[in-house]
Amino acid sequence: MSVHTTGAAVDGRHYDAIVVGSGWAGSLVARHLGRKNWRVLVLEAGNGGTDNWVDYQDSVRTFSSAVAKVPNSAYRPNRAAPSPDVLDLSPGGPGNPDGYRATGHFLQTGPLPYGTDYLRALGGAGMHWLGAVPRMFPEDFSTRTAYHYGLDWPLGAADLEQHLRDAEHLLGTAGESREQHRLGTVPADHEYPMEQIPPSYQDKVFHKKLDTRTVVDKVAGNREYRLQVYGLPQARNSTPNAAYPTADGSTYKPRGAVGVPNFGERCVGNASCVPVCPVQAKSSPLRLQQDFTGTVEIATRCVVSRVLPGRGNTVRGVEFREYGDPATPASRAYRAEADVVVLAAHAIENAVLLLASHMANSSGNVGKHLMDHPTLLAWAETPPEMPVGPYRGPGHTSGLECFRTAEGRRQRAPFRVEIGNWGWGWATGAPMSSVSGMLGLGGDSDGEVNPDGRYGPALRSALGSHLNRQVQLQIAVEQHADPANRVTIDPSRHRDAMGNPRPIIHYDLAKHVRDGMYAARLAALEIFKLLGATDRSSYGAQADGSYPLGHYRHSPDGVLEELDLVYHGAGHGAGTHVMGAERATSVVDTYQRTHDHPNLFAVGCGSMPSVGTSNPTLTMAALALRSAERIHRDLAELHQPVTVAGPRAARTQEVAQ
Amino acid sequence: MTTMYDLAAKEYRPPKDLPELKTYLQAAVEIEHLTIPVYMSGLYSIVPGTNAYACEVIRSVLLEEMLHMTLAGNLLNAVGGTPDMGKLTPGYPARLPFGDASLPPIALQHFSPGALETFLLIERPHSFVPSNPDETGWTSIGQFYEAIRRGIVTLEEAARGTGQTIFTGDPAEQVGPEDFYNSGGETFRITDLKSALLAIEVISEQGEGAQDSIWDSDDKIFGEQRQVAHYFRFNEIVTGRSYGPHDLPRTQPSGPLVDVTWQDAYPIDPGAKSAHFAPYPEIHRAVEDFNDTYARLLVLFERVFDGKPREMEKAVPLMLELRDLAQRIYRNPHPDTAGKPGLHASPTFELDDSRLRRAREHITDLLAAPAEIPAQSATGPAGAQKEEQHS
Repeated sequence: MSVHTTGAAVDGRHYDAIVVGSGWAGSLVARHLGRKNWRVLVLEAGNGGTDNWVDYQDSVRTFSSAVAKVPNSAYRPNRAAPSPDVLDLSPGGPGNPDGYRATGHFLQTGPLPYGTDYLRALGGAGMHWLGAVPRMFPEDFSTRTAYHYGLDWPLGAADLEQHLRDAEHLLGTAGESREQHRLGTVPADHEYPMEQIPPSYQDKVFHKKLDTRTVVDKVAGNREYRLQVYGLPQARNSTPNAAYPTADGSTYKPRGAVGVPNFGERCVGNASCVPVCPVQAKSSPLRLQQDFTGTVEIATRCVVSRVLPGRGNTVRGVEFREYGDPATPASRAYRAEADVVVLAAHAIENAVLLLASHMANSSGNVGKHLMDHPTLLAWAETPPEMPVGPYRGPGHTSGLECFRTAEGRRQRAPFRVEIGNWGWGWATGAPMSSVSGMLGLGGDSDGEVNPDGRYGPALRSALGSHLNRQVQLQIAVEQHADPANRVTIDPSRHRDAMGNPRPIIHYDLAKHVRDGMYAARLAALEIFKLLGATDRSSYGAQADGSYPLGHYRHSPDGVLEELDLVYHGAGHGAGTHVMGAERATSVVDTYQRTHDHPNLFAVGCGSMPSVGTSNPTLTMAALALRSAERIHRDLAELHQPVTVAGPRAARTQEVAQ
Repeated sequence: MTTMYDLAAKEYRPPKDLPELKTYLQAAVEIEHLTIPVYMSGLYSIVPGTNAYACEVIRSVLLEEMLHMTLAGNLLNAVGGTPDMGKLTPGYPARLPFGDASLPPIALQHFSPGALETFLLIERPHSFVPSNPDETGWTSIGQFYEAIRRGIVTLEEAARGTGQTIFTGDPAEQVGPEDFYNSGGETFRITDLKSALLAIEVISEQGEGAQDSIWDSDDKIFGEQRQVAHYFRFNEIVTGRSYGPHDLPRTQPSGPLVDVTWQDAYPIDPGAKSAHFAPYPEIHRAVEDFNDTYARLLVLFERVFDGKPREMEKAVPLMLELRDLAQRIYRNPHPDTAGKPGLHASPTFELDDSRLRRAREHITDLLAAPAEIPAQSATGPAGAQKEEQHS
C-alpha cells in the first residue's frame, strides 16, 4: 500500500526523512526507511494516478493515440512540472550541418544538443524506461587508473555486490547468470530471480552468423574483436528461476500489476516497453511503492523549490510548491522539515535544486560532468531469403559485448552493440514511415501523385517482405565525466512557469567519445557484412539539404576517412553531483551524502563518476540501497539516548536527590 | 458422448472406487473446459477499447477457469489417470451437465445481458440452487466438486488402511507454477491428500465464494489480493454496480457504479456453425483457422498432461493467436446479410475427430522442432518514430 497525502496537509510537519522524487532511487530509499519504521515524506513533482489501473490504462491509450511514439508520449504534458522531451529538439535546417533548434524545459547552449529526456511523474523515468539491467564491468569503476580517461569511483564492483543482488531482487530481474558470469559481470554463485526473457528470432540469426567471427577495430590500433552474442538481463517478468534462493525457500514469485488484483503478465512481446507496458510485465517503481509501510506518505504535484538551511552546516527541510491542475502553474508554497533530506529527483533536477539552494557546492562541481550514452543507430536490410521477424518482443534482448572492455578503451570510448528488435523504428520511424514511403505519400517533387505508390495487396506484400528484413543496431557509447558538460541555472533570466530555474545545458562530445562512435560505425558495417545485410544507414545531408539532429563529421586521426556521424540521446542522464573521496573534487561521498551537509543526500545517476557501457538503472538502484542503509544508521544514532552531562554533573544530580 | 453427460445422467453420489474417481475427474476437466469458449465469446465480442471493467472481469474469470482446468488435470494425473481431450464438448450450444432438464443449453453469445445470465447460471453458488425435494441429481459445479472431495477423502482413507495411497501419479508430470500465471491463484503440484483438497477448495471458492460469502479465498491460500467470486463478479456487470466491502451473497451490490455499455459489442448468431460461412470463403477460412488453432491448444494440453508439463509455455502464443483471430472475425458483419441481418461473424469452437487429428500432427511437429520461428510476413504493432529509447 502507499499512503497519499497533500502538500497542504504536511505543511510545517516534521519527518524523519524527506525524499524528493518517486522514481527508482527515491522509491528504494523510502521503501527501506519505511520498513525500518522511520516516518518518511516522499514529494513528487509530477502527476500521480498511474498506481491505479484505470489511470494506467489512460497512459496506454495516450500512447496508442500519440502521433510520435516518443518515451514521454504515454504521459500527459504538465505545465507546472514540465519534463524535457525528445521532441523539443529539431535539426538546424538546410546548410546548417551541426546546428539544431531547441525548445521546452531545457535551455541548450551547445555546441551539440543534449538529446535525453526524463519524466516528472509518479515513478519518474522508471515509468518509460526499457527495463534493461546489465551490470557494469569491474573495470568500468576505474577507467582513469586503467585507461587514463574519465573519473575513478571511490568504490568498486565488489563493494556493491550485495546491493546489486538486492536491487536485482527488488526490480525483479530476468537473466542468464552462467552467461553473464562468462562475460565477467557477475560472480560464479549468482542467480537471477527469473529465467532469461527468450531471445528473439533475430537474436538467433545473429548468433548463427556472428558468433566466433572477428572484427578488426581500425581506431583501436587494428585490434581484433571476437564476436559473441549475449542475452540481456531485463527487469521484466518471465518464468521464475527455481534455483534462485529466497529467504523462505519458496520459489520467487513475479510481482503483478499495480492497482488491479491478480494481474500483471509475464512478457508476451507487446513491443511497447518504451514508454508503457500494457500488461505491466515491465517492472516500475510503482511496485516498490506498493510495499511502502504506513509510515511512508507520498504527496504528488509538490515541486520542491529549495532545500532549507539548518543550524551549522546541516539542512532543515525543504520548501515546495503544490499545484492542483497540471495545466496551470498556479501553486502555493509550503515547507516540511526532516532530520535527513534525500534528493532523488534525477541527475539534472538534483543539480538544479542544489544550485538553487546554494548548497553542497564547495567543490564547484555541482552540475558538472553531465553524461549520457550517445547512441549511434545503424540500420540495414537483410536479403529476401533471410527475414529476421522484427517488431515483436522487448526493445532488445541480446547484444554484442566485446567492444566494452580492455585495452581498446585507451584509444576510443568503449561501446555496447544492442541488437534492436523493433526494426528501423528508432532510426526512421518505421513501420509508419515504411508505409507512407510505399504509399508514395507527399507525391513527387512537383507535387504530382507519385506514380510508384503502392496500395492494396501489392502494398501489403511489399511491406511484409521489407519490414521483415529490417535490422537496427543501437550502439551506446560510453561518455566519460567531462567537467565542460554541465548543468547551470540562471534564475534571474530563465525560469519555468512556476518560477523555478530551468536547467541550462552545455553539452559536447569529447574526442575520445567521437572516436568511439567512429569505431562503432565501422563495427556496424563489418557486422552487416558478416550478416549479409545491406547497410541503409544515412547520416549525411537529407533530401531537403538539412542534416539529421546530432550530426557531426569526424576522423579519429586525420588519416582515416572523415565520416558523417549522428548520435541520439539514450535517456541516461548521469554525473552532475559525482561521488568521490576528495571533497575538493566531488560532491557526495560513497554513501551519496553531500560532503558539505551531513544530513543532505543526493542519490541517483548524478552520483556516478562513470557509466561504463551499461544502462545505469541497476547500478543506481544498488547505490540507493547502500544510501538507505546508511541513512537508517544515521537516524538510529540520532535517536540513541546521549549522555550530555559529564561525570561531575552526574554526581551533582545525585547530591541534589 | 462426453463423460460429464454420462455422469449427470446418474444419481448424485461420490465416486465409489478409483476408476470411478478418474471418471469424475475426467468429467471435471470437461466441465471446466465447457465454460471457456462461452467466456471467450463474451470477452472477445466486446468492441476493443470499450467496456474496460467488464473485459477485466470476464478475462479474470476466464483465466481462473483455465486454472481450474489445469488443477483438474493435475488431480487426474495425481491419481494415475490422463485427461482425454477427445471427449470435450464438440460444439455449442451445449447442455450443462446438471440433472435439471429445464435448464437452457449454453450457447456462444456476444457480450449482452443474456450472455451474463448464462454466466451467472454456470457459476451459481451451491446455496443458490432452489431446493427441490424431488430433485436428487446434479445441480451445481460446487456440488459436483463436493462429491469429488468426499470420494477422494474416503478412497484415500481406505487406501491408507492397507498401507497404500491413491496418489500414485508421477509428481514430475504435474503442472507447476512455472508457466501458468496471470490471474487469481496459481497452479501447484498435487501429490497427496492435502494438495488435492486444496485444489478442490480453490476451484470451488474462486467460483462461488468462500464460506457463504461473496469473496474468494485467494488472499488466504495464495497471499494475493482477494476478489469477489466469479458469480458475484458477473453480477456486478449485470447490475452495473460493484460490491461494497460488507455486501452479502443475497444482497445486491451497493458499491460504486460500473460503466457497462451493452451496445459496444458485436452481436452474433448463437447458433453459428463454420458451415454457415462456407459460401463466403474469406470468413470461412478465418473461422476454420480459429477452430484449428483452438484444437491445437487443446491437443497441446493433452501433451502437457501426458508427461510434458513444461510445454505449457507454448500455450501462451496459441492463446494470443486465438484472441487475435477471434477479434478479426467478430469485426466482420455476418456475410448472410439477408438471413442474419445486423449480426456479425463469429468463431464457432467446433471440434471433430479429423480436426483433432490434424491438430495432433501439428502439435507433434511443434514439440519436436527446436524453437525456431518460421519465416512469415511481418505483423507489426503500431510502433512508430522513437527518437530515443530508454533503458
